[in-house]
Amino acid sequence: MFRSQQLALKYFAAAMTLFGIMVVAGLLASTYYIHDGFLLNTLDFSVAKMLHIDTMIIWLLMGFIGSVYWFLPIELERETEGIKLAEVLFWIFCAAVAVVAAVFILVQYGPATEMSLWFINQGRKYVEAPRWAAIGITLVVLVFVYNVVATAIKAKKITGIIGVLMVDLIPLFGLYLIAFPSITNLSEDQYWWWWLVHLWVEATWEILIGCIMALALMQLLGTARRIVETWLYIEVALVLGTGILGLGHHYFWIGTPDYWLSIGGFFSALEPLPLLGMVVHAVYDAGAHRMKTTNKPAFFWVMAEAFGNFIGGGVFGFMMTLPQINLFTHGTQWTVSHGHFAFWGAYGCGVIAVIYLALQKSRACEQLDGTVWKWSFALLNIGLVGMVGALLVAGIAQAFYERAMGGSTLQAFMQGQANVWFVQGMVMRVIFGVIFAVGYVALMYDLLTIGKRRVAVAGVKPRVARGPA
Amino acid sequence: MTAEQMLGTSLLLGAFVLLAGCYGLLYCLGRLRASRRLGRAAAAAYLLQGITAGLLALSSLDLWWKALLLASFVAFVAIPPLTWRFLERLHEPQEHHS
Amino acid sequence: MYAQDPAFWRAGAISSTLVMLIVLVFLTVDSLATIRAGGANVPSYTVINKEIRYEFDGSAHRYRPVIGADQQLFGRSYSAAEAENLMRLGKLVIQSRNCINCHTFFGNGAYYAPDLTKAWLDPAWQQMWMPMTQAATREEAIAAFLMNPEKYPTWSRQMPNLKLTRDEAVAVIAYLKWMSAVETNGFPIHFGHIQTN
Repeated sequence: MFRSQQLALKYFAAAMTLFGIMVVAGLLASTYYIHDGFLLNTLDFSVAKMLHIDTMIIWLLMGFIGSVYWFLPIELERETEGIKLAEVLFWIFCAAVAVVAAVFILVQYGPATEMSLWFINQGRKYVEAPRWAAIGITLVVLVFVYNVVATAIKAKKITGIIGVLMVDLIPLFGLYLIAFPSITNLSEDQYWWWWLVHLWVEATWEILIGCIMALALMQLLGTARRIVETWLYIEVALVLGTGILGLGHHYFWIGTPDYWLSIGGFFSALEPLPLLGMVVHAVYDAGAHRMKTTNKPAFFWVMAEAFGNFIGGGVFGFMMTLPQINLFTHGTQWTVSHGHFAFWGAYGCGVIAVIYLALQKSRACEQLDGTVWKWSFALLNIGLVGMVGALLVAGIAQAFYERAMGGSTLQAFMQGQANVWFVQGMVMRVIFGVIFAVGYVALMYDLLTIGKRRVAVAGVKPRVARGPA
Repeated sequence: MTAEQMLGTSLLLGAFVLLAGCYGLLYCLGRLRASRRLGRAAAAAYLLQGITAGLLALSSLDLWWKALLLASFVAFVAIPPLTWRFLERLHEPQEHHS
Repeated sequence: MYAQDPAFWRAGAISSTLVMLIVLVFLTVDSLATIRAGGANVPSYTVINKEIRYEFDGSAHRYRPVIGADQQLFGRSYSAAEAENLMRLGKLVIQSRNCINCHTFFGNGAYYAPDLTKAWLDPAWQQMWMPMTQAATREEAIAAFLMNPEKYPTWSRQMPNLKLTRDEAVAVIAYLKWMSAVETNGFPIHFGHIQTN
């Protein structure tokens, strides 16, 4: 195994740990809705929620970075350049995350000064990490970019996939710089903030996971390079072709000109079309290989990715993206429903698939299968879909009662939150959240053990490795 | 738009894309298993999507959006077969150097 | 066949991306001009010296902010420089206290607490908080609440005490007043008016 791949395994371990913290923070955050006064003035909702969404972003980012460190040396047929530096940065990254989280929990907030933004909390969603940590993340990403580019230069080789990856890393890095400024004018603040968030998760991240999936499919199904490359270019064309101006679906209500209602709504409405293509592709791959694969869990998680992306992003997004509808749904639990499903489908499933692939190789199993992964797959997906459904019901109640009927005042908000459908939705969300959490425990158990037990027959080298039955 | 119109329209929009997905999935399964029944089921899903599109045409959305929905309904019919055929061609062993 | 050649699709990816990016850049230049303080949609900060309403505009088919006559805030008017300083402080309060992780601003944020886009115009200040706090003006009632929310609860879900100073409370209230005057293309729909069928 290359050192880069050993680093990848560390990144995967860190990612899965943060996934666990995300789950705990999520369970915590969901409790406030069904238990008034819960931890008031001790650990408020804002802290729990912030931990939940930030660990989500970081675990996915670590999953992506790990995936690239895993595949890069195989793809370019040499050790990753600057790997020692990358190893150091990994530990710095982990330490920074821990310190930031500790300060979030123990200090929580400071006075309204720049110093608070530098050391405690920047108070902009997803990028709350204080500036000193944002500098750290920037450094980690820079070194990561250096690793990729320098390896390609040293290898004197750029494959199509690595080429797309390298170009994608430019906006990945550049957009993150928007995490730094504190802009007084909220319209301007949110205008640029959406460049970071949307053009990360609905553009550069899509390309990044596309590159990773391309690399993964070559290993998982032995697909020819020409095929995955062609498909990757098509994906880039369609995803960026719809997603760049799809950014406009965040510019309906923040003070921007009203032509964004047409432009954003139009391009956003086109976004499901390429996603259907991805579903077709997934079914084709499944069928062409007659569901036979050397890595059952990875295969299933890749399928989950295609369908989750389509339903979570495509179906749920389409329900709420037209401006006349969004006027009612914007900023309700409907958004939360869509967000959970889309992030899970588009990214969560994909990272888990890659981790199974990496484990297969690192534990030298020809065939990776078992029973526990099926349980975790079922529990996580049922838990997620259940949460999403519950949040949809709650969100619809909000849009209907608080917004459409109630006039969006505080009074209307309170009535919406007390509405029986809303309350039921939030209770069911907690129940399915617990199911999801159990699925996570099963996933961790499986990742730690799958492929490690070998069936040894006297005189015969062990071939089939199964997970715990 | 009233509260009821909002609810109905948004659910129809979600069903519109979901049925497109059903059509796509059933079409692909029909091709994989060379099954006429699955092919007919796919057509039924597309028909249902068409009914959804028709209901949306009766909604309180503006003409421009109705036109967009109609156009995307037409586009959706082509995506599964075109993509499938493209993937088949792509997976064919190459005879000459490209 | 073209369609099987990766290079064909690579060209497609590059061109579609570039075209969209160029359009985005043009639209950004235009949008930034519209959203700067004093631009077409976003009032200058001295709007805090004016009365603000939210009314239905028949020709635009949407609710729009209306800037009315002079109206003091905390018993005084603010110069452009003073207003800007107040806004800067108000925004720092919002960021340092992590408000966006309970509330939404222009519908963006977290959904545990109410949206604050038109909070300045919420009838609850006159109806509930002014009597509770015995304040003479809306802004004094809001200030009393923000500095000691535990003293003036209106609901079983309570706002935490974020240790706001008087200056910080004044700044954030001014910020909310300015924010309520931003043209948001009609969001939130018919604020303050209940739909009767």
